[in-house]
Amino acid sequence: MRRFKLDGLKLGALLWAAGLALPFALDSSWVSIAAFFAIYAITALSEDVILGRAGMFDMGHAVYFGIGAYVTAILNTTLNVPILLTLPLAMLLAAAAGALLSAPLIRLRGDYLLVATIGFNAIFVLAMQNNPGGITGGSDGITGIGVPSLFGLQLESQSAMFWLDWALLGLVLLVMRNLDTCEFGRALRYLKQDELAASTLGVDARKVKTLAFALGAALAGLAGTLFAVQLSTVSPSSFVFTESVTLFAIVIVGGQGSIPGVLLGTALMFVVPQIFRSLAEYRYFVFGIAMIAVMVLRPQGLLPRKRSAA
Amino acid sequence: MGTFVQQIVNGLTVGGIYALIALGYTMVYGVMRLINFAHGDLCILGAFVGLTMLTGSAGGGHPGAALLLLALVVSIIAIAGAGVLLERIAYRPLRKADRLAAVVSALGASLMIENGIMLIWGPQVHVFPSNLLPATTWHVAGATISFVQVMIILASLVLMAALYLFVNHTRFGTAIRAAAIDQDAARLMGINVNRVITSVFIIGPGLGAIGGLFIGIYYREAYFTMGWTYGLYAFIAAILGGIGNIPGAMLGGVLLGLFNAFAAGYVSSSWQDAITFGLLIVILLVRPTGLLGERVAEKV
Repeated sequence: MRRFKLDGLKLGALLWAAGLALPFALDSSWVSIAAFFAIYAITALSEDVILGRAGMFDMGHAVYFGIGAYVTAILNTTLNVPILLTLPLAMLLAAAAGALLSAPLIRLRGDYLLVATIGFNAIFVLAMQNNPGGITGGSDGITGIGVPSLFGLQLESQSAMFWLDWALLGLVLLVMRNLDTCEFGRALRYLKQDELAASTLGVDARKVKTLAFALGAALAGLAGTLFAVQLSTVSPSSFVFTESVTLFAIVIVGGQGSIPGVLLGTALMFVVPQIFRSLAEYRYFVFGIAMIAVMVLRPQGLLPRKRSAA
Repeated sequence: MGTFVQQIVNGLTVGGIYALIALGYTMVYGVMRLINFAHGDLCILGAFVGLTMLTGSAGGGHPGAALLLLALVVSIIAIAGAGVLLERIAYRPLRKADRLAAVVSALGASLMIENGIMLIWGPQVHVFPSNLLPATTWHVAGATISFVQVMIILASLVLMAALYLFVNHTRFGTAIRAAAIDQDAARLMGINVNRVITSVFIIGPGLGAIGGLFIGIYYREAYFTMGWTYGLYAFIAAILGGIGNIPGAMLGGVLLGLFNAFAAGYVSSSWQDAITFGLLIVILLVRPTGLLGERVAEKV
């Protein structure tokens, strides 16, 4: 068992390293798709922290992704803060929002939490559209977001941006992997399986759940910053409820708590549609059918989490 | 005073529609513990089927009451059939699976129906004919009440009363209530739970088709993404009244319609939706089981 797990890690590391060579093998439009894959993979993994690992039905995850993107966009365009400096702030504010919004709702039963998070998402999008204080740019959003620079080096080219995204995806993957085994990650798993038993064994359910929301939101905020940079513009339409539904579906279709599952789900939901652009009309129709088919045939997801000793 | 009465009439009209759609959410949730995310799209599919009946056979002339009734009946039958089919294909195989699998299946069904509508009828906004109903209006206490509003309010009241009597005063209604409390116990008492579930997927989408067609007639338009918007409102109405609770969905629908009308009339229309969702969150915080309480047995 142990040997196999090591192999999984090695295979992942190898694939990640091979991914670094993508800009040499693909033309720039494909490099951009690969960059979006990395960004959405981070977002989907962050949703997995809350939904897949902690078992909390979060159907408003686009809010935290959006907060990250807007924090970077506003700080960079109005105060000229360098992009990479906005990144920790984006994560921090998203985490704070995640903790604050979830704190009062955490005790709600699954379906009610789901409905409340849908509500948060709708309010977030409306707020961005209504342009409070003139800082969010209304429905058109914010344009002209700058280029990140690292050690005086301007990461201007699509390839450079891809490497930045890919490197951060690597870091997030390491975090997720540690979450499989660390104390906090195990506490999440116990809570998901049996909250009463976990509480009896001394797991502080409220604290652990709030932390899970904060961590998931922080990682989504990170992805939001990368998203804003990649597009050099943000607008409310990128963070609507449908995006949250897609993230939710990625985790369940891929496999809850399963890193390869979530990555496969991201590829299916965000990359495959790019390939079939010419069939755009039929895209979501087929998607809907595929979602039903996967769930009926494989209710645990495409690549379910392997049962561990826990 | 005029505005006040006007907002009440407008609110009751929209509230009646919300209630008709909310009943579908609440009945399915009551029996299956499943949020049927495809319900709103089914309702709008009903509006499109009805519209096709009305425009396809009217030939430009006055459609008349008989044709309107025919469109309504065809739409109810089509959507009830679609509801039963949906349950068989997308929900029944997942009854024993992880609840989230059914949620994603429902979301997939919603995407499929919504985009199916787009593929058949196109992405543009369809306009409902203006000559469907008499243009008669009444002036009461400074407010203008149209024939459409009276028809919608009366029809929703009659349908809700009929459903209430059916669920509370017939043998089959008792079976539905029993299955909602405890499926296994109901099965042991000789109730055919599969038939109950099928019936819920006939009644809910059937009423929803009427609601969808009313939306089309009242706002005089239909477009393929409409299902989400109105579905979400109706769903909030179901939560407001207490999900799984049939009188609750009726009350929730009417209250939400009134709330919306007053928020739009007195506060601001650009923040109207935000206020509605804010209300939803406040309810969930203060009284998650809704005004009348949910009739759902808690699994421990």
